[in-house]
Amino acid sequence: MKLSRTRRLAITGMSLLLCAGLTSAGGWVASSSAATKVPGVTAKQITIGATVPLTGIASQGYSEVAKAANAVFKYVNSKGGVNGRKIKYILKDDCYGTPGFGCTGTPSTVSQTHALLSVPVFATVGSLGTPTQDSVRSLLKSNHVPQLFVNSGSRDWNNPSVYPGLFGWQTSYNEEGKIFAKYISATYPSANVCFLGQGDDFGSDGLAGLVGAGTINLTDTQFYSVAALVTTQGAVMGPYVAKFQSDKCSVVVLDTIPGATDAVLGAALQLGYSPHWVISSVGSDPVTVFGPLAGKVPSDPEVGAVTFTYLPSSDASTPWHAWITKVLGKDKADFPSFTSTTVLDGNMVYGAAWGVAFVEALKAAGRHFTRASFLHTLTHTTFRQTPSLTPLRYTPGNHQGLNAGYLVTVTSATATHPVDGKIWMTDSTPNGPVTAATKFSTGIPTWLK
Amino acid sequence: MRALSARLGVAGAVLVLAVIISFIVMASVRDAVAMSLAILVVAAGVATITTPGLRATHPVIARAAMSTTAVVVALVATFYFSATTDYNLATGAAMSIVLVGLSFLTGASGQISLGNGAFMGVGAFIMAIWANHHATTPIVVTLGISVAAGALVGFLLGLPATRLRGPYLAGMTLAFAVAFGAILNSFNSWTGGDGGLQLPNVAAPPHWLISLFGRSTPLLTTNTAWLTDITLVVTGVAFFFMANLFASRTGRGMRLIRDNDVAAELVGISLPRARVTAFVVASAYASLGGALWTLINNSVSPSTYTFALSITILSVIVIGGIGTITGALIGGLIYAYSTNLISWITSQTGLNPQGNLASQLNGIIFGGLLILTMLFAPLGIAGLVRHVWRTRARRSVP
Amino acid sequence: MDPFLTSRIVSDLLGGVTQGVIYGLVALSLVLVWRSTGILNFAQGAMPMFATYVGMVFFAKFFGYWPCVALSILTGFVLGATTERVLVRPLYGKPEINPIVVMVGFLIVLESVAAAIWSSGPHSLLSPFSQVDFQLGGKPIALSDFTLYEIGTALLVMTLVAALFRFTNLGLQLRASALAPEVSRLLGVRVGRMLTIGWILSTGVGTVTTILVASKSFFQGLTPQVMDGVFVFGFIAAAVGGLESPVGAIVAGVGMGIILQFVTDYVNSNAILLVALVILVVSLMLRPNGIFSPSTARRV
Repeated sequence: MKLSRTRRLAITGMSLLLCAGLTSAGGWVASSSAATKVPGVTAKQITIGATVPLTGIASQGYSEVAKAANAVFKYVNSKGGVNGRKIKYILKDDCYGTPGFGCTGTPSTVSQTHALLSVPVFATVGSLGTPTQDSVRSLLKSNHVPQLFVNSGSRDWNNPSVYPGLFGWQTSYNEEGKIFAKYISATYPSANVCFLGQGDDFGSDGLAGLVGAGTINLTDTQFYSVAALVTTQGAVMGPYVAKFQSDKCSVVVLDTIPGATDAVLGAALQLGYSPHWVISSVGSDPVTVFGPLAGKVPSDPEVGAVTFTYLPSSDASTPWHAWITKVLGKDKADFPSFTSTTVLDGNMVYGAAWGVAFVEALKAAGRHFTRASFLHTLTHTTFRQTPSLTPLRYTPGNHQGLNAGYLVTVTSATATHPVDGKIWMTDSTPNGPVTAATKFSTGIPTWLK
Repeated sequence: MRALSARLGVAGAVLVLAVIISFIVMASVRDAVAMSLAILVVAAGVATITTPGLRATHPVIARAAMSTTAVVVALVATFYFSATTDYNLATGAAMSIVLVGLSFLTGASGQISLGNGAFMGVGAFIMAIWANHHATTPIVVTLGISVAAGALVGFLLGLPATRLRGPYLAGMTLAFAVAFGAILNSFNSWTGGDGGLQLPNVAAPPHWLISLFGRSTPLLTTNTAWLTDITLVVTGVAFFFMANLFASRTGRGMRLIRDNDVAAELVGISLPRARVTAFVVASAYASLGGALWTLINNSVSPSTYTFALSITILSVIVIGGIGTITGALIGGLIYAYSTNLISWITSQTGLNPQGNLASQLNGIIFGGLLILTMLFAPLGIAGLVRHVWRTRARRSVP
Repeated sequence: MDPFLTSRIVSDLLGGVTQGVIYGLVALSLVLVWRSTGILNFAQGAMPMFATYVGMVFFAKFFGYWPCVALSILTGFVLGATTERVLVRPLYGKPEINPIVVMVGFLIVLESVAAAIWSSGPHSLLSPFSQVDFQLGGKPIALSDFTLYEIGTALLVMTLVAALFRFTNLGLQLRASALAPEVSRLLGVRVGRMLTIGWILSTGVGTVTTILVASKSFFQGLTPQVMDGVFVFGFIAAAVGGLESPVGAIVAGVGMGIILQFVTDYVNSNAILLVALVILVVSLMLRPNGIFSPSTARRV
């Protein structure tokens, strides 16, 4: 007994000594670290990051978005950078949206965001997804890291009083729905309208916008779950479309992701049902939608569908298309098989557009800036020369982003054409007016050409 | 004497390997140094405490001492780690709680479960829902409620499990894991739908603790460190109980059932009761891990708790060492740091980090390791080390 | 007659049968592997997926549709045989969990390698027959050239497998090896070869199923994850029908397809996973070894 007591005392003593040793060693180590002035910014470089779906079902199409922005940044770097700094863009995969086996071992958005914070990054720019970005809002806020240009149409990004560093970029689903309602009530005044939306805020916000003004005759509303969609390979859409057909809806509004759009169009084809389709910008890009259908259908079922865009249609003669083609062609790492004749799809233009917006904001912020001064610049500048149709304008009270666009018809598997060329704008109140825009974006700034 | 030096050799090799890996995967040099020091201190402490005498005569005290040493050193270390490392460690520690539960269920009682990701989700969501409705409940109490909820779900699933064998049991747990998302979606007024839930306020350390240290550190660092501390303490307690459970009569009975259920029944062990107990324990532990994840992330999202997570959990415990406790610890660390290790490999081999191959490397390596482990080292890393430890010791005896 | 055939109930019934034969085929391939080697093959969806990529994407550069289908099935045979020899052989006699974990690992590797080579984006596969439903008096009936092809192919495959087992010498040997390997060996049956053939058949059936699923899917066509969801339902069908019974697998598969189609139509798409879980738990409670299993479990 005596021996073990001594032994125990020795153990306790040793542990205490070790702890003391660790504390002092740690103190020495701790004192030898230095903090950077503005995190992520050095004299020659600014580091930004994003969490995007590089793998998983959402990666179809969506993985091109951030890569297109990266191409813009590389192009700007090749011309010397912005105010003497090159942009380093770190992309982390969060495998968004895949409810099945497909993402085994891939870390979550939160872990990847932590990884970005440890780099450190100046801001996250162009991270994608509503639930994913919702889950990191407080994390980024408490670290004072701006969360810029979230790729999603949710209204969650427009909350300046709670999240001053959080900014959306695209028009919200709600605003899009209102513009659709105006178009439908003007073009098909007494038609039966049916709605199919995703079972989250994408669908519910879109529906709210659609019915807000009470101008359309909504006959049937259905929601689909992404998990069921993926598990049944789209078969769940069949009964919904059959219902719409028996309801005799001549106009069907879809707030669907591209895969779901495909499933709906396919189901309608099977049933011999061809209403007037009105499809959200999220899931209407002709190239993305036609991809899985090629070889299965006699002709592209999306042709004739009306959709909404805040970016120029593919046949518009803007100098931006040529510029984006040039920029993407130069980025062989991200777009290895891109040539001057490759068709630009919606995802590429989308990514390039906010890439340009970021670069212009960075230039406007000047050579010396902090996170606070950058955000101040962002909310007090109107960016008139981006690829978007209307200028990009944030105010201290409104962080939503673009609020205007026009309606286009899908004319082929690769092209769209404006319906009437009028650019409509609205706000995110339920029955706010839809008015014709009077301010438009103008060409390419000289320093970017 | 030779046995001792042989064992020291093996221990030394393992420690050196651990230090090298820390330097590769840790977020910064400072973190790696602190981690290495912590590992060495814990190893030294454990070695002195687990002298044969104490272990044989007072096993419970020995386990308590081991847990306490590890936890105390880790707690001290968290104040020197960066917020990212704190976060990674907390995530890994919470995962190791889940792993030790699965280790018990499958390794000790021989029941296959592919649904532990869903059990985690139960605890995670109960934690968030309770916190949103009763913001003033102390964290420990809310954790307890999550554990109770998990135990209940484990009981409900364990009842049918008593009648099922092998593939049918696997199938039932698989169906549960896949349907879990749909279950959450059906109650989306409670669970927040696809967006999930946020906790109402970030857990902050009590004022007396802050004043004790008297430093004005940035808000997040303190909070992350505090949450990490809570997680580490809870992990220590959970492992202490599990270690005792493994060694207890119940644990031995479980292992007998796994090896020969007829004999177990002859000895008087009630098969259904033991099986259900195993499920309840595994599910309770998994829920605890999930609740801690919610705490650490300050939010919960249904897209985290998918079937892919259940597969990841199974993979990681198999690689770590199924049926063992150390395997769960190793598995937790692997879970926390596998991505960093793979990014390091990608950068070393010059692959395009955004290209096809690099983004699939996670899956290829995980899946490959799983196959190789099962074919060549079915008891995982922990089993391998133990095997080498024993054979070295045996061989060196003349 | 017309209104009846185009009514909602009949449409759901026909739609359910079309989905159900797919689940039945998946369940059948699981049963084939189980009966021949006693292993639950988690990669039952992924192996044919890989074979389909090789045949329909890689070889499609050189050959037309039907030759590619034949090549895919051949690749499936080769993959099945190789997997059995390399991965499964070493696992006989080991604890039950080992082969399950190995096949899960194999599943992960196959999906990742397929995505690494061909990217995880969708590949469109030709649909060899029109998918437009037949019209009866102006309203669609839930059958088209393609669904007839689908149901016909499934029936053909099931008949071929049944005929193989029942009427051929090979079938007799396969059944004998599964039932009593030692005795069969003494009687001169090459048991090892029979095990491999079981896997070959199973992967072949799986490849046919994958091509059907990918060809008909408007959702994303062929992706590395194309069979994941179908595998879950097929697995549930096999467990409900009984892993010992090929007939049970098919009946359970078709039954599940019909039930789930009605659930989608009359409830909502979210409920199908819940209903599948309930069906599984209830049927396993009543018959722990499956509804059509020949013997009851040993109750100790």
